Amino acid sequence: MLLPEFDIDESRWSGVAEAPAPGRQLAVAQALRALLPADCVLSRDEELHPYECDGLAVFRQQPMLVVLPRTETEVRAVLLACRRLEVPVVARGAGTGLSGGAMPHAAGVVLSLARFDRILQIDPAARIARVQPGVRNLAVSEAAAAYGLFYAPDPSSQIACTIGGNVAENSGGVHCLKYGLTLHNVLGLRGCTIDGEPIELGGCALDAPGLDLLALSIGSEGLLLVVTEVILKLLPKPELAQVVMASFDDVGKAGEAVAAIIAAGIIPSGLEMMDRKATAAVEPFVRAGYDLAAEAILLAESDGTPDEVADEVRAMERVLQANGATAIAVSASEAERLRFWSGRKNAFPAAGRISPDYYCMDGTIPRNRLGHMLKAIERMEHKYGLKCMNVFHAGDGNLHPLILFDANRSGEWERADRFGADILELCVQLGGTITGEHGVGVEKLNSMCVQFSPAERAAFFSVKRAFDPPGLLNPGKCIPTLARCAEYGRMHVRHGQLPHPDLPRF
Amino acid sequence: MDSALQELRHQVLQAHSASTPLRLRGAGTKDFYGERCEGTLLDMRGYFGVVDYEPSELVITARCGTSLSELEGLLAQHRQFLAFEPPAFGGDPTIGGVIAAGLSGPRRFQAGAARDFVLGAVLLCAQGELLHFGGKVIKNVAGFDLSRLLCGSLGILGAITEVSLKVLPLPRLEQTLQFEMAASEALALFNRWAGQPLPISATAWYDGHAWLRLSGAPPALRTACERLGGELLDAEAASRFWRSLRDQTHPFFGHASTLWRLSLPSTAPQIAGSGSQLIEWGGALRWCASDQPAADMRQRAGAAGGTALHWRGGTAGGRFHSLSPVVLEIHRRLKSRFDPHGIFNPGRLIADL
Amino acid sequence: METRLADWIKGTTQGDSANDILRACVHCGFCNATCPTYQLLGDELDGPRGRIYQIKQVLEGTPATRNTQLHLDRCLTCRACETTCPSGVDYGHLVDIGRAVVESQVRRPLNERLLHWLLREVLTRRGLFGGALRIGRALRFALPRALHAGLGEHRAPGAWPRRTHARKVLLLNGCTQPALAPSIDAATARVLDAIGVQALVDARSGCCGAIRHHLHDQRGALQNARRNIDAWWPQLDSGAVEAIVINASGCTTMVREYAWLLREDPAYAARARRVSDATRDLAQFLGPQLPLLLRCVRPASITRIALQNPCTLQHGLKLKHDVEQLLSALGAQLLPVDEPHLCCGSAGTYSLLQPKLALELRARKLAHLLHAQPQMILSANIGCLLHLAAGTAVALRHWIEWIDELIVTS
Ligand SMILES: Cc1cc2nc3c(=O)[nH]c(=O)nc-3n(C[C@H](O)[C@H](O)[C@H](O)COP(=O)(O)OP(=O)(O)OC[C@H]3O[C@@H](n4cnc5c(N)ncnc54)[C@H](O)[C@@H]3O)c2cc1C
Ligand code: SF4
Ligand code: SF4
Repeated sequence: MLLPEFDIDESRWSGVAEAPAPGRQLAVAQALRALLPADCVLSRDEELHPYECDGLAVFRQQPMLVVLPRTETEVRAVLLACRRLEVPVVARGAGTGLSGGAMPHAAGVVLSLARFDRILQIDPAARIARVQPGVRNLAVSEAAAAYGLFYAPDPSSQIACTIGGNVAENSGGVHCLKYGLTLHNVLGLRGCTIDGEPIELGGCALDAPGLDLLALSIGSEGLLLVVTEVILKLLPKPELAQVVMASFDDVGKAGEAVAAIIAAGIIPSGLEMMDRKATAAVEPFVRAGYDLAAEAILLAESDGTPDEVADEVRAMERVLQANGATAIAVSASEAERLRFWSGRKNAFPAAGRISPDYYCMDGTIPRNRLGHMLKAIERMEHKYGLKCMNVFHAGDGNLHPLILFDANRSGEWERADRFGADILELCVQLGGTITGEHGVGVEKLNSMCVQFSPAERAAFFSVKRAFDPPGLLNPGKCIPTLARCAEYGRMHVRHGQLPHPDLPRF
Repeated sequence: MDSALQELRHQVLQAHSASTPLRLRGAGTKDFYGERCEGTLLDMRGYFGVVDYEPSELVITARCGTSLSELEGLLAQHRQFLAFEPPAFGGDPTIGGVIAAGLSGPRRFQAGAARDFVLGAVLLCAQGELLHFGGKVIKNVAGFDLSRLLCGSLGILGAITEVSLKVLPLPRLEQTLQFEMAASEALALFNRWAGQPLPISATAWYDGHAWLRLSGAPPALRTACERLGGELLDAEAASRFWRSLRDQTHPFFGHASTLWRLSLPSTAPQIAGSGSQLIEWGGALRWCASDQPAADMRQRAGAAGGTALHWRGGTAGGRFHSLSPVVLEIHRRLKSRFDPHGIFNPGRLIADL
Repeated sequence: METRLADWIKGTTQGDSANDILRACVHCGFCNATCPTYQLLGDELDGPRGRIYQIKQVLEGTPATRNTQLHLDRCLTCRACETTCPSGVDYGHLVDIGRAVVESQVRRPLNERLLHWLLREVLTRRGLFGGALRIGRALRFALPRALHAGLGEHRAPGAWPRRTHARKVLLLNGCTQPALAPSIDAATARVLDAIGVQALVDARSGCCGAIRHHLHDQRGALQNARRNIDAWWPQLDSGAVEAIVINASGCTTMVREYAWLLREDPAYAARARRVSDATRDLAQFLGPQLPLLLRCVRPASITRIALQNPCTLQHGLKLKHDVEQLLSALGAQLLPVDEPHLCCGSAGTYSLLQPKLALELRARKLAHLLHAQPQMILSANIGCLLHLAAGTAVALRHWIEWIDELIVTS
């Protein structure tokens, strides 16, 4: 049911791996070297190779060139040249993305913003920070701390990931249940279109006229514009924060406890869950003091004034107890609170300690289906013969099953890939979505076919072309082509409305 | 397909094939809002009802014609609410209209704007297709965030037929403090307080008085009240006061013939010639009953880092602040792709779109 | 990460070690965040994750180039990346393997080879270095700015204690330190003496080997190691000394590495392990002796102190808070220092080989150290001390010298 008016130009969309024509690299490199200092254009194989992937190393593609500009003028010049020469451009922050969003294009340029690492301004009175896109997420809160302020979205990768990447992915964190995602904490941004035109969306005021292009740009995975400056909202640091850690002898019970906390009218500032495999992996590194005997642990944080926290912690303890917690511990100091969290924040890479590779999924489901999902994942572990450890932003229903595999063994990645696709399909069936915060990238293109109809996909292409008519910004990511979906051949399930969503389909 | 929806679709298809403009309308509480408002009426009220509401999920899904009072009534039964406090302007708007207009009330200061609570939306597009964007879960980054683009779009991209919104538990307690002070003092204090961990959920200043609403757990409010001083308002009166700001039934909104709505950085100094003023959102929203020339108001708001919206009164030169050429061009392209025949609320958000 | 090592290295000890390390890396990029060179250069190629990737590429069969070498040269071997890595990637050993392989594939230009040779031969020989140093001091005005780093002011060492004690430890008979700052060893001996421990120095021992190791002279480094093991062994084996105590954290790190470096050497492997195990950084040794120490000190007069925690101490030896705890207990008021994890740029001979980056890092480190206006800056490593001293007028000492000042001789 394709709509003629949504003129979908899918060209350039499937050629991510298509090598550039001979001589092309040299010509484009020459054009760019005329615009940038010598150390800003990389073109040798051994220099390009380390840029071939982001945090999801199973998807790799060596780019034609890498550029490392330092100023917005340089970014504009690069974009203009790429537009003129019809060269795809893939923006890159810290390369911690987990969906291959920053994976290069074989005939394209990687535009790294890592050198845009300056915090331009912190205005404590207006509670804003103006930063360049290459500033690390954690650096913002560190700089704001002097004024008793912080930047709320805190992805587990916050030590390394950049604000530009956060904006592109609409990243969340362990505290977004209460404080929102990147979307809720970005007031404005400045960027460049593919035409090299500067564009400003939002600003220091709360409302802006016209369509909300700011909201549209956040989470657009580098497909609409290249972000060169961001205005962030800073919040006053709560006086106190405490974490309640509860153990459960059953994952399903832990899931129910999560729903019960919310149902009790409590919005913890963070509500996270780890299963036994996850705690076992991180404990040796962080020594957080996790209960290794528990099938699952919940971490629930309360923040506010000391009275308020004491009150809320008591309320949460009551709910947790009523829902079968086998042990409860409350952080007694700031150091202990941070230690409780550090295990959670390091959970993904720590998987590298128990398995050579891991594949992190990112589906979201209604909270009350957590238990159902966990049982299904257990069945899938048997089906695919692979282990899966589970880490959840439980408060948001955002799952991070980590499928453990060994890329050196033939066939294991393929099994992990299918395992993951199964999980995502079930997420859609349960009324959820295929990605809560990591983005679609190259990784979840197939799953997009499951979640969206051809007409919806066409609408996405329309947005893409409205910002980027030649389709040169990060082509091949985020939106699958019709051909790809046809090839994938899975049915498109209407948001949770499959005839029998409860029936496991494997 | 539901027959009311079928009917809407039918009308849209017809308009599309005949290229005749449609005027999308819910309860008409915001007929005054926007640049132009013309075309054949497309009444969205017929498609109504709460589709899905699971209090423990903090999400409600309702059809566009559902009235705000019904929705809020249902939420209140479960001690939940729409935290962006959409204005009703003295009537009973539909939820579709609330989202299409994207306006928020006093709590926007702390809780966020309408768009911050939109999780998903269904769009009836010009070709009669129903497009689902976003979803019913709190976190969702699959595809572009079109549901939030629709919030505040004033219907120019299509008809919103269903929305999913994030809801929050009602605060356990609310208290309002009243102070006497000048506007400049209030602006300074609002900003200073906002930088401290205080449970402030709304602020207002008018005619020598400042109001502060605190929301949250009783212990937190106790501490805050002690720290802030001021005079505690009676709960009933306080609730009436905030409601009157939210719905613009406050006398301030009554007398002025022209009214400007300035959206500014909260720390922006007083704007010259702003006339009689009512300040909300910690200083970020300033209502000005001013008869200064429109060009001057826009210029001053722009210079302060914000924009000016001609809320009421003479409309020469348009109501909304103009867009930069790059941004306007993207609007054009979006409009022409989503609504190639220009049938949806033409000219309402941007005069020639 | 997936690996496909080339046949020429697969199955060798080096190959297997490298493979294990590479496989543990999950490419998360956390390490880039704390890598000094990535902070300065903003290029994946100059961060640990990219270096790991470049090494992997070479081990998978792509010939190394000057470019690869350049990016490995720029690495300070500060090992901040190891501290950050949640996956436990042993970067230090991987980069050793990678550098050796690259060195064997890529011939350096003559001037570099000459400089490396000079540094190796001059710095590691006490007599030679002492002489060169005196000449250097005299000619200070004629040397490039960067080199001033290596030429601190001379301080009188003071008397070496003459008492004997039943408790004995061996000190390193170091190469550069005795020439540059003899006061450090003397202060160490005095503090140890005060708590009833006699410090011995074996004249047959010498440079720990770190300098040669950094300058890609593996064989020379191993020779240094074997010589020291031979020198120390009799006293260690007989139980005459309880530990080998080293007061330059760079050297401690190196001696602790003997076990790994000589793991393939049948004649030395076992003894190397014993030596490494018996080696303590001075801070590590003094920590448990704190009660003894507290009995023989007076209140400090210089208390506003900024501590520079050398990379070898915090990342190499993973002794992040030991000196801190010791100094605080003795009455120091340690001022907050930003980016405590970042290298000061000294890094062995790095400041001489990569002066531009080294100076940038030094400026950054000094800005942080001086921020809260300390009366004195303390460090735990001779290299860092000299490197930093050239950039500031504020007094810089080894922390043991600060403690030495507090000792009241009974
Ligand atoms: C261990 C680990 C834990 C993680 N935990 C979380 C988590 O808790 N929550 C979460 O949300 N994510 C998490 N992530 C994912 C990842 O860190 C985020 O997606 C992050 O926002 C990516 O930032 P980056 O700077 O690394 O961007 P990159 O990976 O470099 O790029 C990501 C995308 O952004 C685009 N982009 C980057 N910069 C710009 C720019 N200036 N303008 C336009 N487009 C740009 C790229 O083209 C790409 O599509 C985790 C990742 C890892 C490895
Ligand atoms: S932090 Fe560790 S696992 Fe992550 S990229 Fe660096 S070395 Fe690899
Ligand atoms: S050792 Fe230091 S300089 Fe080298 S890669 Fe690691 S952090 Fe960077």
